[in-house]
Amino acid sequence: MGRLKHLFWFGLVFFLVLEAMAIIAIRFWPDFRESLPALLGLVKSIPMAGKFLEDMGGEFFGYVAGQHFFKACTPMGTAAATLFAIGAVAGEAHRGTLEILLARPYSRARLLGERYAAGLLAVALPVLLSSATLPLMAPMVDETISLTTAMLCAVHEILFLATIYGLTFLLSTRSSSPIQIIMVVLFGAIFSFGLYMVKTASVLSPFRLADIPDFMEISRSGSLDWRVCGPLVLASALLYYAAYRSFLQRVP
Amino acid sequence: MTRSFGDHVAVHPTDVTIGPGGITGLLGPNGAGKSTLMRMLLGLVPADSGTCSIDGIALRGDGVALRARATYSPGEIGVYGEMKARDQIAWLLRGREPAALERALAIVGGMGIPLQRRVRGFSHGMKRMLLLAAALAPEVPVRILDEPSEGLDPSRRGEVLELLQADAERGTTILLSSHHLGEIDRVCDRLLFLREGRLLDEQQAGDVRERVKRILRLEWAEDIDPGVAHEVFAPFGTTRVEAERVFLLLETDDPRPALAALAASPELEAPTGFSFGQLSLGDLYREIYGREGI
Repeated sequence: MGRLKHLFWFGLVFFLVLEAMAIIAIRFWPDFRESLPALLGLVKSIPMAGKFLEDMGGEFFGYVAGQHFFKACTPMGTAAATLFAIGAVAGEAHRGTLEILLARPYSRARLLGERYAAGLLAVALPVLLSSATLPLMAPMVDETISLTTAMLCAVHEILFLATIYGLTFLLSTRSSSPIQIIMVVLFGAIFSFGLYMVKTASVLSPFRLADIPDFMEISRSGSLDWRVCGPLVLASALLYYAAYRSFLQRVP
Repeated sequence: MTRSFGDHVAVHPTDVTIGPGGITGLLGPNGAGKSTLMRMLLGLVPADSGTCSIDGIALRGDGVALRARATYSPGEIGVYGEMKARDQIAWLLRGREPAALERALAIVGGMGIPLQRRVRGFSHGMKRMLLLAAALAPEVPVRILDEPSEGLDPSRRGEVLELLQADAERGTTILLSSHHLGEIDRVCDRLLFLREGRLLDEQQAGDVRERVKRILRLEWAEDIDPGVAHEVFAPFGTTRVEAERVFLLLETDDPRPALAALAASPELEAPTGFSFGQLSLGDLYREIYGREGI
């Protein structure tokens, strides 16, 4: 099974997990809505827990943004982006197949571009497809979500995940040890989530770039917030360029 | 071409022309720079300075034009264990002409390797055959093979050498490295000796065979005095005494005067071994590197 088949199956699993989590979350909405006032009273002394509930604003879309994008796509997507990017170069080097790959009559730009695109698609498509099913599921609980809003939020989420994917991809071009990269990314993710949970340091956490208020703002404005998305696109482009420069010097 | 890794110079300035046609053997101990040089020829390891060309095409950029004209079999085996052998070969041949797949399958099938089995259950030698078949199948003017028979059993090794010879007879230029001096001796037309990244010597196989005819080799069971040996044999040719195995090599057209001098010498005992015109490639390797070849 080559890398593409691996990516297909892992991407399918990623999609199914997101979809299952979305179904469970949406079906739980009526109970949640009913319990919301009591919950708010219960957690107002716990700053970050209260923040989640306040960010959701008691709206169905806020609830979905929290459950689907922030609590499902971001952590699961981070794991998927890391997993898919690691295999691109470091995984091949670890297996001993990188030398054969480089000996193909293809340019390194093409080899890298194909690998980058395939992995990113395996991250992006499940997020896009599972988000596209949100408007179909909302009527189950007598609610509605606009497809445009769901897609724009998915694009925002994908841009955030693409940055994590790009960073891991860069590490992959520089290493032959997938385990080392996993440890670095895992440590970075846990540290960033720790920052997010500390009220005074929360603003420093990368997870604030795909937070519930961002999705609520997209829902309100009907467009992407380019003050956040622009730097994410730029960061992804720079990371890819750095990975390309690194890959040009890569020896088997 | 030159290449360094940090302070270590892996390949010193090297200038050599190989082919067209024939099989050239790259010889040297571990760490001599053989694999690095081979990788540089394909652009897998960028050269610090210098360039190379294959089939008239110069190395530019990352060397994609050269890789279109040359196949490569790496020294280290890396395969996808979960793939079936047939799929693995197809993966190895991506970017090559479609007919190459059938030729590679024929080579592997001809050696009795099951194409429908997953590679993870294969022996080291079977995996090696997959890589080698993928390097031999495409229609290219040049093949670069890093230890192509490493891990193969003697019968498969013989079949591989026959494949290489047949390929060279069709006009393909083959550069191979090996630690098996016997197979180098059998198939190579030309030998390049590397040590610590430097091209030490370059010999045509025919020249080696001619030189072999002039070598008198004497062996003693116990140490001899090198000074005495040189004194006795100096009038008859160039001598070299190897203390480790206690033998003496003498280059001469006619060994008889030297043997008569040995018999007349009161200081040298009669040797326990004697041969003339039978220098092996291993002896040549020892002469160049001062250590035993395989």
